[in-house]
Amino acid sequence: MLFFSGADFAQQVVSGLSSGGVYASLALAIVIIYRSTGVVNFAQGEMATFATFIAWSLMNHMSYWPAFALTCLIAFAGGVVVERVVIRPVEGTSVLTIVIVTLGLALVFNGASSWIWGAQVKSFDSPFSTRPIHVAGVAFSIQDIGIIVVSLLLVFALWLFFQFTKVGLALRAAAVNPAESRFVGIRVGWMLALGWGIAAMLGAVAGMMAAPVVFLDPNMMLPILLYAFAAAVLGGLDSPLGAVVGGLLFGVVLNLVSAYSDFVGGTLKLPVGLVVILLVLLFRPQGLLGHTSVRKV
Amino acid sequence: MRALATTVGALACALALAVGATGATKADPGVGATTIKIGGTVPLSGVASAYRAVAVGAAAYFKYWNDTNGGVNKRKIEYVYLDDAYDPSKTVEQTRRLIQEEQVFAVFNSLGTEHNLAVRPLLNQAKVPQVFVASGALSFGRDYRSNPWTIGFLPTYVAEGTIYGKYLRATKPKSKIAVLYQDDDYGKELIRGLKKGLAGRGRIVAQQGYDVAASDVNSQVARLKSSRANVFMVFATPKFAIQAFIQANKLGWRPQMFVNQVSSASNVMKIIQSSAAPLASNALSIGFVKDPTDPRFKKDPAIKLYNRVMAKYAPGADVKDVYHVYAMAVAREFINALAHAGNPPTRAALMRAVTHMNDKKNPFLYPGVTVKTTPQARFPISQAQVIRWRGGHWNAVGKLVSARG
Amino acid sequence: MRRLGGLWELIVAAALVPVAFLVPHLVGDFRLFQLATVAVYFVAILGLAILTGWSGQISLGHGAFMAIGAYTSAILVFHHQWTDWLTIPVAGVVAGVAGLLMGIPALRLSGLYLALVTFALAVSVPSLIKKWESQTGGSSGLFLNLHSNAWLYRTTWIVAAILYVAAWLMLRGKFGRALRAVRDSEIAAASSGINLALVKTVAFGISAFYAGVAGSLLAITAAYVNPNSFPVTLSIYLLVGLVVGSLGGLLPLLLGAAFIEYVQVYASKLAPEKPGLPTLVFGAALILAVFAVSAIRPLVDRWHTVREQRGPAAVEET
Repeated sequence: MLFFSGADFAQQVVSGLSSGGVYASLALAIVIIYRSTGVVNFAQGEMATFATFIAWSLMNHMSYWPAFALTCLIAFAGGVVVERVVIRPVEGTSVLTIVIVTLGLALVFNGASSWIWGAQVKSFDSPFSTRPIHVAGVAFSIQDIGIIVVSLLLVFALWLFFQFTKVGLALRAAAVNPAESRFVGIRVGWMLALGWGIAAMLGAVAGMMAAPVVFLDPNMMLPILLYAFAAAVLGGLDSPLGAVVGGLLFGVVLNLVSAYSDFVGGTLKLPVGLVVILLVLLFRPQGLLGHTSVRKV
Repeated sequence: MRALATTVGALACALALAVGATGATKADPGVGATTIKIGGTVPLSGVASAYRAVAVGAAAYFKYWNDTNGGVNKRKIEYVYLDDAYDPSKTVEQTRRLIQEEQVFAVFNSLGTEHNLAVRPLLNQAKVPQVFVASGALSFGRDYRSNPWTIGFLPTYVAEGTIYGKYLRATKPKSKIAVLYQDDDYGKELIRGLKKGLAGRGRIVAQQGYDVAASDVNSQVARLKSSRANVFMVFATPKFAIQAFIQANKLGWRPQMFVNQVSSASNVMKIIQSSAAPLASNALSIGFVKDPTDPRFKKDPAIKLYNRVMAKYAPGADVKDVYHVYAMAVAREFINALAHAGNPPTRAALMRAVTHMNDKKNPFLYPGVTVKTTPQARFPISQAQVIRWRGGHWNAVGKLVSARG
Repeated sequence: MRRLGGLWELIVAAALVPVAFLVPHLVGDFRLFQLATVAVYFVAILGLAILTGWSGQISLGHGAFMAIGAYTSAILVFHHQWTDWLTIPVAGVVAGVAGLLMGIPALRLSGLYLALVTFALAVSVPSLIKKWESQTGGSSGLFLNLHSNAWLYRTTWIVAAILYVAAWLMLRGKFGRALRAVRDSEIAAASSGINLALVKTVAFGISAFYAGVAGSLLAITAAYVNPNSFPVTLSIYLLVGLVVGSLGGLLPLLLGAAFIEYVQVYASKLAPEKPGLPTLVFGAALILAVFAVSAIRPLVDRWHTVREQRGPAAVEET
């Protein structure tokens, strides 16, 4: 049965934007690693979950914002360490090898989260009010808006960083042309580590935005990872703004398709992600806001 | 030479026949002089690893019983549980390991509907008892004619749904019901029971399924709200049940909430209460196991025993998790049955014992709940209590009701 | 995976055959079941090796082709009362056709993009299986016939041996050379007259055929199929086996298959009290195995290069 009332439709759109905000924040982390290292990190979701658990533990001893900040720092350091210890040994090898290492990392972080914090579902505070606000029959909360605003702010901050700081420029150079960057004195290895550190930090933020909504347990990020991939691909794998736009758009589309198609319903949502990824990569691989790359002979 | 060989051969045969005739049979596998080995499979890793508690609690109770009573008929119970990562193919492999390598006497307390279905043909063909399956699927109690070596324990999901249906029929006959359900047998059997209990009074106006691998159920809840139902049945596992309450609350919907027993543990309800208090209040469910965080049972000797046993034999585990109490209830019934399974115990005698249970005094279950079976009625627990959440804990509503499968 | 071990490999494989006959008399009954599972993984990894090692295309979703094969067999046995081992080739063909279909869009996707699409496919498999419930039995699954461990051991290893020899022959010949040319440089291969699209698509199809057969064998050994048997981790574990076994040639893939099976067995024995430890151990083992293989492979390659440089006798293989 389809309920086409305007308020219901608007509600589904708003809910979609809200979930989309969560996908966008993880998509941002994925895009940053891709831009700085050319790798897609399949462990992004699990690293984000692990960081969120750390935040949860910290929040037992301190209030929200100090725990948030400390978690970001820990995540940053963790990302750097992971790159230097686990990724560096396989840096020059094939894409497949690096992908497999990131998959191994995903298993390690997933197992570690279960081991240290257990598998029971936990609640997680949100920095924004979750009190429902009703406007024209549609319900949302400050939290929904907050997630989107945070993602956009991060995009802006990243843009400033990449465009205007020396380190940011060095990172971009190292990603585009490692050999020549070395000539200019850029420590390419450390730039890669920096990229991972930033991405890990973004992942931690994504986890802390998602957890109040989907609740914290070791497996919370697996479906979100797939949707974040879809969002990143849709927006353009090398475009941070694309990650956010892609996330919001995908969130809305997924919600509408799932709500209004009985075929898809609540049970075929994951394949929607597959379809989006497949179609975008086949017909417009640069996504909405990304740049085409030329295949050199 | 040949004559000698023939004579020796004849003597040997005679001896063999004589031994056979005295009925000196080999003991069933797993039965030793001072130990008896049983085993099961549970998800120790992966998405469902929270349910490992059913093994941890039972193991703790067996150790306690071994230490205080020397086991059963002087045999200490050795309980082995293996990880199937909630993957039925792994359940098959691990169960084969249990019966072929570990040589267990019986397969006890394995968790999961599909997982137990996967190994049921194997166990019945090998005539190995598959006792106290940790799943509420109807088939385990109903299909005993083709699977005589299998028996469940929990009230079935169908029975649970029926209780909700009957309750609504009696208290709110014209209700319009919205259902959120997990899209597998567990969710569907709950709905089946609900329809059976309603028997025409009250209508299901909307139902939305979700896949167990989903990230959230918010869009389903929004659709359910738009059906204008005044009753909301949440047939979901804890994570999704919490989300459903919160989303419904956020949307400003105020139906009568029902939450299924699997998600009714107090620690789950407390999370719901802190984020969706108006809906948590007066939510209904059923219960049959004593919840260790329920203030009603704080001074209860069974819960005190539970806490002591957990502290000593499972020190790292979360004592607030009610699945551990369930596990001890099951373990206790197994001990009872084993005590009536002969000395030395045999598998056939064990099955006879578990199909003739009549225990009114299992301390871990709600007062009045009887564990009762006959060979044709293989639903050990077939009663439950309707409970209402108020004041931060569950309260009994009315008397125990039947939960026959 | 650069070189086939050549004739040497086949000789070693032949030497293993009598061992395979002896094994049931040497080990316990349950071990035969485990070895049957190793055979299942071996067949799947062979397929993945053809695709990834030889034609250079990544697949993170081979579990999906296993699922197709497994369910083909299960549906034929459960709904249509076929004899189970007769369904094995059918399962392979159905999965192979699916692979061919997948191979077509794969032509336009390279490396990372293909990894993403196949990953998404792997994650979606359980939901897709549940959708077509009337045929697949949904989450209740479907049952197949029970067999003794000895029968399973024999059946799976006979199939594995046949497919191993087939792969060896295929890769020795023109097709194998074409595959390798494509992997090393698509542009050079195309300019020397190889039909890129055909080779790559056929590689996908053959690889999926192998995975489908493996899936069918999995269904037969477990005597049960269920959507939960094909989680994304299955596809990841197949890759693990590929990497661990990638010392050169096809036979070392046996090691990869054994690795997958036995690390899972021993990891879960390590610490049953704490959740998550098995997964963690498996992940760590994977990373260490990749490091080890990355460290060893240059040495293996150098050995091969030295042998080749030793004279014309070694030039028979390229």
